[in-house]
Amino acid sequence: MFMENTRTVTMDKLMIKCSNICKTFESKHDSNEVIRDFNLEIKENEFVVLFGPGQCGKTTLLNIIAGLEQATMGQVFINGHEIKEPGPDRGMVYQTIALFPWLTVMGNVEFGPKVLGVKKKERKERSQYYIDLVGLQGYEKHFPVKLSGGMSQRVGIARAYCNNPAVILLDEPFGHLDAQTRYLMEEELEKICSKERRTIVFVTNNIEEAIYLADRIVLLTNCPTTTKKEYIIDIQKPRDYTSSEFLKLRKEITNETDQTI
Amino acid sequence: MSKILSNEKVQNIIWGTAGLLFVLIIWQLSVAFTTMGRVIPGPFEVFKSLFSYIFKPMGKYTLIGHTLVSLTRVLVGFTLSAVCGIILGIGMGCSEKINAIVRPIFHMVRPIPGVAWIPIAILWLGIGEEAKIFIIFMGGFAQVVLNTMDGARRVDPTLLGAARMLGANKRQEFFKIVLPYSVPYIFAGLQISLSTSWMAVLAAEMVSSYKGSGWIIITGMNNGDTVQILIGMISIGVVGLMIAFIMRIIERLLCSWRIQGQ
Repeated sequence: MFMENTRTVTMDKLMIKCSNICKTFESKHDSNEVIRDFNLEIKENEFVVLFGPGQCGKTTLLNIIAGLEQATMGQVFINGHEIKEPGPDRGMVYQTIALFPWLTVMGNVEFGPKVLGVKKKERKERSQYYIDLVGLQGYEKHFPVKLSGGMSQRVGIARAYCNNPAVILLDEPFGHLDAQTRYLMEEELEKICSKERRTIVFVTNNIEEAIYLADRIVLLTNCPTTTKKEYIIDIQKPRDYTSSEFLKLRKEITNETDQTI
Repeated sequence: MSKILSNEKVQNIIWGTAGLLFVLIIWQLSVAFTTMGRVIPGPFEVFKSLFSYIFKPMGKYTLIGHTLVSLTRVLVGFTLSAVCGIILGIGMGCSEKINAIVRPIFHMVRPIPGVAWIPIAILWLGIGEEAKIFIIFMGGFAQVVLNTMDGARRVDPTLLGAARMLGANKRQEFFKIVLPYSVPYIFAGLQISLSTSWMAVLAAEMVSSYKGSGWIIITGMNNGDTVQILIGMISIGVVGLMIAFIMRIIERLLCSWRIQGQ
C-alpha cells in the first residue's frame, strides 16, 4: 500500500516549476544577491515547506511565485503558464495576516469571489463553507480588530481558500503567534489540508512546524538563497512532535541548517 | 461593564456642568462686587437677552435666523471644498504625475489663510453670497487635500498585493482598498476643515454682511452693545460644539470597524 501511494504521487502532474530563479536587489551603490539559481518542481497536491534560516530570501522567493515580485532571471510556471503578475489562481496567506480591516470576517472571505463576479448566493455559500471549515462560525459579522491573532489568521486561510486556487502560498503564517496558538494552528491547518487537498508552498524558519506539516522539506542556504538539500517526510499524518522518528529527523535537519546569525 | 461606563458618563456630565456653573458664578460675582460690572453685563442679563432674541428679531432676523444663515454658508462652502479636496487629494495621492504638476502651486496657496482671501474675494465676487462661500472654500480646502493625499499614499502595499492576489483589477483596487483605507484620514481632514470653515464665515461676515453670526458681533461692537456681542459669541460656541458632536457621530458610523476594537 505504501508503494502504491508513492507511485500515485510520482504520477501526479507537475503544478509549480521554478527554473533558474535569480534575484538581485540593485541600489545606487551596491547590489544584494538574494536568490541564486533556484530550481524546484512541485507536484499537484504536494505540501512543500521552504525551510531556511532567519533572513534568507524565503519571502522574496514566495513573492516571486506569487507574482508580487519579479525575478531578475529565471521563470516560474504554474500549471504550465508563466507567472508574471499576481492572480487568483494562487492564494496567499501572510505573516502580517493582512486582512482588510474595514470588512467583516465574511467580507474578507468573500472578497475574492466578489471581485471575480461570483453571484451573491454562491459566494455566500462558499464563504460560509470556508468560515465553518476554519472554525469561525458565529464570527461572520465581526471586524478584524476584535479577533485574536490565531482567529485572524484563520480568516486569512479561509480567504485564501475561498477563491478555490490551485496553489496556496503561506509566508510564515504563524510567525507572529504565541507558541500555544501556533501548535493549535498547525494542527488546524493539517486538518484543513487533509480535507481540502491543494498544492501548498509553506515558508517557515521553525523546524518543528516544517516537519509536522510537510510532505517534502526544501532546506535553503542563507543569502544568497538556493536549495541545499531536500527531505521527503513520510511519517504518517497527523504526526506526533515527540515521536522518535520526528525527533531524529529534527536533529538531522537542524545539523544541516546554516547556523549564521 | 456597561453600567460602569454609563456611571462614568454621568459623572463626566455632572463635573462638566459644575465647571460651567463655576464660571457663571464667578462671572456673576465679579460683575456684582467689582468694577467689572461697568464694562461687562452679568450672565443673567446676557442669557435673558439671548433667549428673548430667539423670537424677537435682531436686525432683519432672529438669533436662530442669523445662526442658520451662517450655518448654511458654511455647509455650502464646506461641501464644495470637501468634494473638490477629496478628488484632488486622491488624485495627488495615487498619481505621481498629478502630484508633480499640482504640488508646487498647492504648497504656495496653502499657507494663505482663508481670511487673507477676503479682500480679493470682495473685489472679484462682490459682497454677496459667492464671495463668502469662496472664502469658506479657501479656508477648508487645503486641509482636506492634505489629509486625503496622506491617506491615499499610506495605503498598505501588502493589502494592495492581497487584493490583487484575490483577483481585483485596477478599478476594484481603487474602490475597494485605496478609498476605504483613506476614509479615516479624509474624515480627520474634514473635521479640521469644518472648524476652519466656521472661523472663515465669521471673518467674512464681520467684514461685509447684513446677516449672520458675524454680523451680530460686529453690529454689537458698532453700537457699543456688549450684550449683543456676547450673544453672538455664545451662539457661535454652541453651534461649534453641536457641529463637533454631529461629526463625531458620523465618524462613529463610518469608521465603526476602527472604533469597535477600542
